[in-house]
Amino acid sequence: MTATAPTYPSTAPAGPPALLLDSITKTYRSKAGAVDALRGVTYHFARGSFTAVMGPSGSGKSTLLQCAAGLDHPTTGTVVLNGVTLLGLNEVELTKLRRAEMGFVFQAYNLLPSLTVYDNVALPLRLTGRRPARNDVQRVLEQVGLEGKAKRRPAELSGGQQQRVAIARALITRPSVFFADEPTGALDSGTSRQILGLLREATDRAGQTVVMVTHDPVAAAYAERVLFLSDGLLAGHLDRATPAQIAAAMSDLEG
Amino acid sequence: MFFLSRQTVGRHRSLYAGSFVALAVGVFLLGLAATATAATIAYHGPTSASISVTTLGGDGTAPQNVKVPLSDADVSGLQTVLSLVGTISGFITIFVIASTFAFAVASRRREFGLLRLIGATPRQIRRMVLGEALAVALAASLTGALAAQLATPLLLRRASYTELAPVKLEPASPWVPLAIAVAAGLLVAMLGARSAARRAGRVGAIDALREAALEPPRIGPVRVVFGLLFLAGAIVMLTLIRPSSGEGAVPLAMFTPMVMVIALTLLAPLVVPLVGRLWAVPLVAWTQVSGRLARSNVLAAPRRSASLAAPILAISAIAGSMVLSLSFAADSAAATIRDAVRAPIVVTGAAPVDSAQVKAVDAGLPLRVVRVAADYAELEDAEGIDPAIAAQTRDLTVRSGSLAGLTGNTVAVSKEMAGFESYHVGDEIPVVFPDRTPVKLRVVAIVKDAFGVNPSFLIPLDLARKHAPEAQTERSFVLPADGVAPADLVKQVPGAQLATDWEADQADGVRKGNRLGLVMLLGPAALYSAIAIANTLLMGSLQRRHEFVTSRLLGATPAQLRRMVLWESSLVGTIALSLGTVITVTVGVLIRHAMTSGVADVPMTVPWGILLGIGALCLILAVGSALAPTTYLLRRSQPSAAVD
Ligand SMILES: Nc1ncnc2c1ncn2[C@@H]1O[C@H](COP(=O)(O)OP(=O)(O)O)[C@@H](O)[C@H]1O
Ligand SMILES: [Mg+2]
Repeated sequence: MTATAPTYPSTAPAGPPALLLDSITKTYRSKAGAVDALRGVTYHFARGSFTAVMGPSGSGKSTLLQCAAGLDHPTTGTVVLNGVTLLGLNEVELTKLRRAEMGFVFQAYNLLPSLTVYDNVALPLRLTGRRPARNDVQRVLEQVGLEGKAKRRPAELSGGQQQRVAIARALITRPSVFFADEPTGALDSGTSRQILGLLREATDRAGQTVVMVTHDPVAAAYAERVLFLSDGLLAGHLDRATPAQIAAAMSDLEG
Repeated sequence: MFFLSRQTVGRHRSLYAGSFVALAVGVFLLGLAATATAATIAYHGPTSASISVTTLGGDGTAPQNVKVPLSDADVSGLQTVLSLVGTISGFITIFVIASTFAFAVASRRREFGLLRLIGATPRQIRRMVLGEALAVALAASLTGALAAQLATPLLLRRASYTELAPVKLEPASPWVPLAIAVAAGLLVAMLGARSAARRAGRVGAIDALREAALEPPRIGPVRVVFGLLFLAGAIVMLTLIRPSSGEGAVPLAMFTPMVMVIALTLLAPLVVPLVGRLWAVPLVAWTQVSGRLARSNVLAAPRRSASLAAPILAISAIAGSMVLSLSFAADSAAATIRDAVRAPIVVTGAAPVDSAQVKAVDAGLPLRVVRVAADYAELEDAEGIDPAIAAQTRDLTVRSGSLAGLTGNTVAVSKEMAGFESYHVGDEIPVVFPDRTPVKLRVVAIVKDAFGVNPSFLIPLDLARKHAPEAQTERSFVLPADGVAPADLVKQVPGAQLATDWEADQADGVRKGNRLGLVMLLGPAALYSAIAIANTLLMGSLQRRHEFVTSRLLGATPAQLRRMVLWESSLVGTIALSLGTVITVTVGVLIRHAMTSGVADVPMTVPWGILLGIGALCLILAVGSALAPTTYLLRRSQPSAAVD
């Protein structure tokens, strides 16, 4: 573990940064008092990179992801996605950017229970006002291994299958950046492997950028680079590490 | 977005069942009021028993011929009641629909957040909610209209030959009234859904990720401003409930609570937690964990609690104020009648013959005259009296002029009527008598009002005999001869009663009449509110399966959860009822003051039974409709269900 200031990942494919965080801070204010969830994070996610973010519980991982994706506004600092500064966008512009450029996968599968698998996957396209092409939907369903399940409803699928529907839904708009928060948190190891394989494939085959928050060293090992977050600050990184190395670094951080 | 609306309505059947039933019943009542009104409009009274008169014209209106029906076969009483039923139903419908939609939106924050996350704009969310509302509203309005059409003949059969419509009513063409009812239903639904949709549009993508789907405690500034405006309006209306408003005080007392209810509902997310905190003190002190849980559930989601409290608040405040106002109005009527009668004996029916035991008999002749004004002509109650005798048997205190001149073509007018029409002593009032003779009556006196004893127009007995030869004395006031005890005399004269007994009978009659009106007005509203209360609470509980499962997993027993729901719904019910009580008491105190000024010793009848009954019914409904689905859910929610 190299506890130095974060550097540009050498192993990532060259190219302009897909996502740029510049001195992000985030303070939550509530009746109970203020919490500094992020205390100045600067980082460039290269196009086509797969980055895992790890850290103890409460270290600000989810907050980082939400600020990076424009779901929440950082207290200070800027976020630039594919050259667009999120700060100046209004709610509708943010939404349009989100549906064009970003895909989301979360621990809770977040599917609409009333829609079939097919309709869930096609929903982002419908929201843009486009009529989804049957072939496109079938193709992403195949890609995640759910061919033949198009007519099912989420309740009729296993957890792993539901998460694959969520990935298919993220894939269908061909986003440039994937945001994943504990995508395998509720899955067994075999199913987790399939899900992580899908994310890996997105970077390898389509040059999409993946930012994944996880607490599982095995999952983190799918990424080229693991960023460590501690108390709202970047505490270092590991490149192409094994699960054992990552686990050791984590226990250092927590200890 | 309509594609989504269609799918989600199906999914949220339990949420929308509430709105559906509420709106269908609302449109049913509106439709019924509309078809019945159409039937009364289509009804043409017997033409023979009417008088044709020409109005005076002037002030920009030309004289015109109008027909004034002479008989009692008049359906305007029913029309008035129907329009009131329509107004109240419409009001409660808007109200219930707005709160059920608000509730549906509040319990779906996560879903909206998710849609926003995957790219729905706020506008798309708004349109989706409106689309859902439209789908539900269409189905509900058509159902309600169909039911109204089926029920119309039944209602008309019931309403025919009653005090309100002493004629036979036949259904008229239903298309226009039902179209109006359906349109009103759609409009009401859209109005109600609008604010809910706007709120749904404000849900952020991040709400899909937050752990609890807890709503923010904030309440929009627009809502606060409107709430305060309505509150100010209600307060202004309250200040108008004063003695000088006369007869207008009772309608004011009936409509002010509605404005007050709107104000309190708008401000409910602020008011409900406040009152809730108060009532929670004894609750937490008496109970163990379940009361504490109930308290935090009610306080942590003020919007949700406000939606649940709204229908209870509405019906308790409106019904309570109406019942109390009418009762106080009847008390005041009883006191007025008591003060207006001076004779110790009243004889109902034909006047008693003079005898040695009788000093004087005031046998007035009741008749009706058509009063002709500039642009209308109206049938008025009048009585032919002998002023010399009547001045001894009843209160005919003269405000101006003199009763001595009540001979020939003259009239004495009650103070209220004189006020309305600005009559002064010396004015001439053109009238047409039942024998069709037009006469100009000169005002010789303005006398004190005596509702229930004296009509607004008093004419000389001879004039009445001359122009209304068929008029019969219906009640007379009798002064016994000196030394004759009234109690003895009563036993000898047929139809005689002690004045005190007669006064009590009259007051009873007023109360009975009020009761009929109350049943017609409040019946549908109460039925409707009952459905609404049951609805919102049912929906609320059915949405909580997940919470129950989790609590069971944590070791809560079904009995503990049931107790929690019991306390929760009682707390919400108590909050709503205490606000309703405040409104009722305020209106009651004001109307009492307005009604008793100038009259001494007005009896006070508080209809405790009915008022407590309303409160108890609201509470039972609230608790019952929260507990029933909970019991059902708990039976199907073994802790193991949390795993799937
Ligand atoms: N909506 C919120 N309001 C207040 N505090 C929050 C909120 N979300 C997160 N926090 C706090 O911010 C810190 C970081 O949270 P989070 O980013 O969720 O951590 P992680 O995902 O690493 O567990 C924690 O101390 C948490 O309690
Ligand atoms: Mg987290």
